[in-house]
Amino acid sequence: MNDKPTTCGFCSCGCALYVEPRKSGLGISGLCPSTTHPVSTGRLCIKGWNATTSLIRVDRLQTPLVRKGNELQPASWEEALSVTADVLKRVISTSGSEAVGVIGSAKTTNEECYSLVKFARAVLRTPNIDGACRFYDASLIPALIDTIGIPASQIGVEQLAEAGSMLIAGANVMEQLAHIGSRIQDAVENGCKVVAVDPRKSRLAPQAGLFLHPKPGSDLTWVRALLKTILDRKLYVDAAPQMPGFEELRASLDDVVIGVLPQVCGIEPEAVVEAATILAENEPCVVMFGLGVLQQQDSTILVKALANVALLLGGYVMPLRGQNNAQGACDMGVLKDYLPGYEPISSVETRAKWESAWQCAINPQAGLSAIEMVQGGVKALLVFGENVALSAPNTEQTISALEKLDFLAVSDLYLTETAQLADVVFPACSFLEKDGTFTNIGRRVQRVRRVIDPIGESKSDLEVIVGLASAFGKEMATDPSAVMKEIAATVPLYANFSYEQFETGWGEPWRASTPTPRLAPIHATDLPPEEPDYPYQLLASRINFHTQTGTMSARCGILTREYPESVVEINPSDAEKLKLRPGRVVRVSSKTGSLTRRLAVSDAVPQGCVHVPHYFGGDSANMLAGYECDSISGVPVYKGLPVKIEAVS
Amino acid sequence: MNVGDKLILKKNNVSDFFYSLQEQMQLIAPKQRFAGDVVFDLVNSPDEIVWEYGHDIYPPGKRYLFPHYEDMFSYRQGEQIAIDVAADVPRQAIVGIRSCDVTAVRFQERFFSSPIVDPFYKTRSDNTVLFSLVCNEPPKKDCFCICCDAGPYLESGFDVQLTDLGDRFLYEIGSEKGLDVSEPREKYLEASTEQDIAERKRIELHADSLFQTASYIAKAIIYITSDEVPDEVWEELGSTCFRCAACTNLCPICTCYTVDDRPEPDGSFTRCRSWDSCQYAGFTREASGHNPRPTFGSRVKRRFYHKASFQYIMRDGRHGCVGCGRCVSSCLTKLDLPSVVKRIRRAMHDYIEPISKPTAFLE
Ligand code: SF4
Ligand code: SF4
Ligand code: SF4
Repeated sequence: MNDKPTTCGFCSCGCALYVEPRKSGLGISGLCPSTTHPVSTGRLCIKGWNATTSLIRVDRLQTPLVRKGNELQPASWEEALSVTADVLKRVISTSGSEAVGVIGSAKTTNEECYSLVKFARAVLRTPNIDGACRFYDASLIPALIDTIGIPASQIGVEQLAEAGSMLIAGANVMEQLAHIGSRIQDAVENGCKVVAVDPRKSRLAPQAGLFLHPKPGSDLTWVRALLKTILDRKLYVDAAPQMPGFEELRASLDDVVIGVLPQVCGIEPEAVVEAATILAENEPCVVMFGLGVLQQQDSTILVKALANVALLLGGYVMPLRGQNNAQGACDMGVLKDYLPGYEPISSVETRAKWESAWQCAINPQAGLSAIEMVQGGVKALLVFGENVALSAPNTEQTISALEKLDFLAVSDLYLTETAQLADVVFPACSFLEKDGTFTNIGRRVQRVRRVIDPIGESKSDLEVIVGLASAFGKEMATDPSAVMKEIAATVPLYANFSYEQFETGWGEPWRASTPTPRLAPIHATDLPPEEPDYPYQLLASRINFHTQTGTMSARCGILTREYPESVVEINPSDAEKLKLRPGRVVRVSSKTGSLTRRLAVSDAVPQGCVHVPHYFGGDSANMLAGYECDSISGVPVYKGLPVKIEAVS
Repeated sequence: MNVGDKLILKKNNVSDFFYSLQEQMQLIAPKQRFAGDVVFDLVNSPDEIVWEYGHDIYPPGKRYLFPHYEDMFSYRQGEQIAIDVAADVPRQAIVGIRSCDVTAVRFQERFFSSPIVDPFYKTRSDNTVLFSLVCNEPPKKDCFCICCDAGPYLESGFDVQLTDLGDRFLYEIGSEKGLDVSEPREKYLEASTEQDIAERKRIELHADSLFQTASYIAKAIIYITSDEVPDEVWEELGSTCFRCAACTNLCPICTCYTVDDRPEPDGSFTRCRSWDSCQYAGFTREASGHNPRPTFGSRVKRRFYHKASFQYIMRDGRHGCVGCGRCVSSCLTKLDLPSVVKRIRRAMHDYIEPISKPTAFLE
């Protein structure tokens, strides 16, 4: 067995595990969790136990591919890198660096993320660098910077069991993040009171003292009512009135009418009062929210409102981010509007600092978001480790926009739907084949260690980035530990980290230097208009067995056997009304697209809603979403979309 | 020297003893890993063995005799199908294995040899000698072997059993296999005294008094065998399960596996078996889509039927638990054997309404 542990790459909990490679050939012969690691504590979830096998397979990309004529053909690394560099140089010289876009991943290491940002901003000099988080949870960044002061969880997984109460909104957490689910159960056993909020009855139900099922899209209404209740009943902590923004918040809630709750949200006013009381009386309260909150019309405002709840009650915020390095990728600045460490690109001082660190001039323009890039906002696009063809909204249009790009290069483990459209494909290593660090949901920066040799000719994204930079005549560090040294020297949040220190234990959470919390005003926004032609609302959730677009998990035997086919779920009464029997193939369509699945019925889905498990290989719920985004963060609206459902004959 | 001998291995001879054994076979023993983790592994030198290690969550007996992923044979498609049986099974001594795990190995040996002999398991077990190490005190609060007649020390079943007596180990030979590895190393072993035996007795009594977890499984066996436990109780229990299958993966008794054919880079295929679990829905789903165990609760029920119903006790010679506590430490919720047994007992006396009805899912 390999002597050194590594960090699981299948979710943001960040368990430590030992992996034993097979003696010869591909595969592993065993694995076990660390018992001393503060998250894994001797336990893994179904993905941790099984999914590593999905990384080590013959159908992994073995060599670079370059499109010749209509075909992707095997090529040498030299050729793939030089073709890419030549095209990029040509596009930059004819159309300017703004014609190039780079999309990073939330799965690759911090060192890779940092190097990618440096490559995009300092070598390509494009402002268009953004991360996969734009498809998922980037709305929490502006919202939390403006409120709690750090765009991250304030506590670690290991502290959850001590919570006095929890507000958990829009997250299928028991399925998605097992270790957090497990700590929620521990907390409940210790007397913690859970207020769960989800249109659908999820597996949180046995833990929830109070479970509210608001109508999709009505979240801001009940959160404002909750805030108003906390203020009116003076349930807040003594320090709250001194917090900046307190009066503005109060004023912004003047128009709240609790009486509209039953009609707008389908929630009784007493339930909101009860929720406020539970959360205030059981300290400390932890406010958690997932994609159900993060992918709406007004996600940023909604997150601010939820952060206000935590601030008023003296509690903590924990955004439930899914991907293993969602936190680290953002920390490293794989974001269109920030440089590493959330230093705003708009600030002259910030740019000056990074210009001197990187010895370059930084393009001060506001860059395009990942959503804008996949719509064809650029001529040449580099995508690292994200299957954008499926994770971006509006699948059909996105794919045709990707096809129309002058040039697309993709680095991934497999020939994903995105890679199939590319002109150059780089075979990437999985986390088992490289060194680096991931930052977990609790900000813990921890080592990823190479436990097997790279498969075929695959290389880490870091090597690809360094290779491309050198084709541009720029030297960049290839050794992950040297990259971490540079990160520590330039990004204050990571100032304390070094590879030497990681050898002494399980890493540490990064510490923000005393952020000043402030309460944000929460004004009402318009409710989305009714669409009579699309009378149902879409609910999408994550499931236990699969992550993301299924590039990895759909290749794991046990996981696909557990969940072989994604279905559409509706309430039995709706099924009766529509005269649809379970098992029937149905089409769910929205204004932008449609998907076809078998029908299942479940009491857990409220009437008037259609539930589609998210991100399952091949055809995804994103088919149904358009390019409408939360106006502040640019995260697309996936939740609560108007849809219709009909039988396919 | 005979089976049944109680000898002494002085600690200053331990290193030489195992160096000499290492010339004959590889040594698997508790080894220091990262940040305080101790996991059984191949040791390069006997000096790496961590004798005061407590307990390994990754059951060494199961792992080295019935690995998580095991290659069975490889074949090539083509005109002639050639099958190569994977036969890379080294001779090995598992040193420091706990009594509960030795008991479990004997259970698995019996399972894998009757009525049909499993050649993969048999080759490994024939090539393995177990040097078990008595628990002078239960290393974890989760241990309950004392309720399962599987520890903290053994009367039989070991090849060699070691008891730490301070500056020496009491060295008991329990089988022919144990005798075979002991005889050539006679020079490191000496006769034990009455004092040594008395000290061992004292340790046993002391260890017995220290258990913190109890599992009154006898009553549960009756309720489960007679199918008296209400389904609502099973569903309530199942409603918190995360389906990670750690409970069966890490159970040193569980033997279920699945088989699949893995394509290799050279065009051949390897038939590989890997641990499977009754806690997975796919474990029993039929090709039609129908699943005889459609809910979480029905699968938890299944697991406990296998652990504690009389039909299996008759077949296997004991109930399916050795009290090692791994289902306690590895479960993401509280569906370990002692908790479930407790819940069943409570239910039979004073039925408590389920916290909630389980939600209907695909399965
Ligand atoms: S909880 Fe997350 S990090 Fe832990 S084993 Fe599961 S997928 Fe991996
Ligand atoms: S269950 Fe018994 S034999 Fe096993 S480690 Fe614990 S005390 Fe020792
Ligand atoms: S270990 Fe616990 S959570 Fe995991 S499958 Fe077994 S009973 Fe369920």
